[in-house]
Amino acid sequence: MRNIKAVAYKEFIQVSRDRRTLMLLILMPIMQVMIYGYGINTDVKHLPTYVYDQDRTYLSRRLVDSFTQSDYFTVRTQAKSLAEVYSALDKGLAQSALIIPPNFTGDLLKKKGAQVQMIIDGTDSTPATVALNSSQAIINAFMQHEGLIPIQVLPIDFRPRLWYNPDLKSTYFMLPGLIALVLQFLVPMITATAIVREKERGNIEQLLVTPIKPYELILGKIIPYIAIGVVIATSIITTMHYLFVVPIHGSIVTLFFMTLIYLVVCLGIGLWASTVADNQQQASQLVMFLAMPSILLSGFIFPRESMPIWVKDISYLIPMTYFLQIVRGIILKGLGFFDLIGQVWPLLLMAVLVIVFSIRRFSKRMA
Amino acid sequence: MPDIAISADKLTRKFGKFTAVDEISFEIPYGSIFGFLGANGAGKSTTIRMLCGILAPSSGTGKVGGFDVQTQPEQIKTVIGYVSQRFSLYSDLTVMENLLFYGQIYGLEGTDLSVRIKEVLTLSGLDHFRDRLSGELSGGWKQKLAIANSILHKPKIIFLDEPTAGLDPLSRRAIWELLYQLAEGGTSLFVTTHYMEEAERCNTIAFISNGKILKIGQPTHLKQELSRQILEVACRPLMKASRIFSKLEGVRGVTVYGTTLNLNVSDQKAVEARVKDAAGKEGVEISSIKPIPASLEDVFSDLDTNHVIPAKAGIQGTESNA
Repeated sequence: MRNIKAVAYKEFIQVSRDRRTLMLLILMPIMQVMIYGYGINTDVKHLPTYVYDQDRTYLSRRLVDSFTQSDYFTVRTQAKSLAEVYSALDKGLAQSALIIPPNFTGDLLKKKGAQVQMIIDGTDSTPATVALNSSQAIINAFMQHEGLIPIQVLPIDFRPRLWYNPDLKSTYFMLPGLIALVLQFLVPMITATAIVREKERGNIEQLLVTPIKPYELILGKIIPYIAIGVVIATSIITTMHYLFVVPIHGSIVTLFFMTLIYLVVCLGIGLWASTVADNQQQASQLVMFLAMPSILLSGFIFPRESMPIWVKDISYLIPMTYFLQIVRGIILKGLGFFDLIGQVWPLLLMAVLVIVFSIRRFSKRMA
Repeated sequence: MPDIAISADKLTRKFGKFTAVDEISFEIPYGSIFGFLGANGAGKSTTIRMLCGILAPSSGTGKVGGFDVQTQPEQIKTVIGYVSQRFSLYSDLTVMENLLFYGQIYGLEGTDLSVRIKEVLTLSGLDHFRDRLSGELSGGWKQKLAIANSILHKPKIIFLDEPTAGLDPLSRRAIWELLYQLAEGGTSLFVTTHYMEEAERCNTIAFISNGKILKIGQPTHLKQELSRQILEVACRPLMKASRIFSKLEGVRGVTVYGTTLNLNVSDQKAVEARVKDAAGKEGVEISSIKPIPASLEDVFSDLDTNHVIPAKAGIQGTESNA
């Protein structure tokens, strides 16, 4: 116990003297929150739209208005020709275009069935889908509002509701997930480099001939990084909650408790990397290599539901998969410990396995 | 035998088919300085690692401080001090922080620890540097810190792996004064070195080559065994003379010094005549020729020269970069 304390204390001193690492630890989480919070916004709003209104009547203007008022479309230009519309779409000046033919009102009045064309840039499927669905809804509402179709009484009163994130804000989805991502990236990185540094600088040579036991050395080295991990998690949660106003529906205590379990897994990964790598560079490359599939397969950005079965099977081996469900569950859905038991036990199992395995590997005897 | 600090009996270590250390045996009493000499890769480090309990021997036995290297490596670690060749304390910690850390690892606490730290600081002369980052110390002071650090727990046995490699002569002298002080206190020192004049300071020296101990004994004895057999020849051109003389019958080795050659010879009188004769024939100009007492280096180059360090090493000292 005394040895563990001694190692932890000296590790704290070392970290506090390492300016570069400190800056990384403080700035990177907050930077990530900013980038994902402000920059990577997958909410589709204010799609730049060109309008080519050849009818130019009261009714056609009302139609255009109902598009603008929806927030989904913003009229950039009243185009004067089809060519202008096409070129704007080609150049990306517009992502959608509304084309109203000259006899729009006339046809409507004659009940002949008028035509309106909507062109949507389908390059990026996400905004395209949103534009498609919302344009449909806008047209339906317009027709009812203008009395063009009778208000029907449907046999089924279908009322879809969005729970947990009613406004479909991407920050609600992204920022809690960021806790998982940043920890998975930073914590193994600093742990691995901290241990490999001792190897690289020859410190381990001196430690080997002292009576210190491998587990004491490892635990002593890990403790400061658990503390740092908690600080990182806190800084992300704070920025997320206060700057981006993501509500936390569940218990903060449960959230931190789960974070601790996840931290142990992350530390274990770093520890393992340190037993494989010979220098700090190799260690950080190894951690990066492991982080990539985690980001892509864990459900951090891409839904796991749409993955092929075998890819989904792989994602079950990734600790981040479980922790993402846990943080999102606690923060957005207000789930408690027992609701998440299905995610907690695999994570706990991983924590135990990776730590035991790494400590074993970190054998003191060099053969 | 309580007066024996370190002993090795047919200690052997193999790495696959390669035998790094081959049945070496020796005994080192407490209070003595044991010099372990050999080229890089001769088996010095492997021997030290076995004796320190961090590498299990393949066969043979060894005892350090009464503990068996095979079965009690952890106990050995509590009774030895170790100074590595490369500075391996934490360079981003201060002198004081390093000592505090290692002191605790060795089981010292509270006042015991602070009293002991004060003692080793005074002994090593590091008082003024206690709050200096150890990475900012000069080479000599770093090494003194490493030694101070290794004696925190008052070990009776200290292993020093080339403690003076790369240091200037003054620092080296200071280090050796420190080592003498420790030996006087009854500590046994196991020192590896490349420097011949440092080997002279040891009570006992052993030459190791290809994992085998070629020669072991007190420096004076080793030199006496050789003393009638060194012929110093001042001549020019030096290199040409060296080539010619080395082929002569009875010449076992030639070492080139600044302006002279040291011939390691079996029969001084006969060889002297042959040297003069050959010099006359080949146009080598001899200005003086006389027998001189052997140095340790001569002892060294007298050993199976093929596998021992090059004869020139040790004059100015090889700058070890191992």
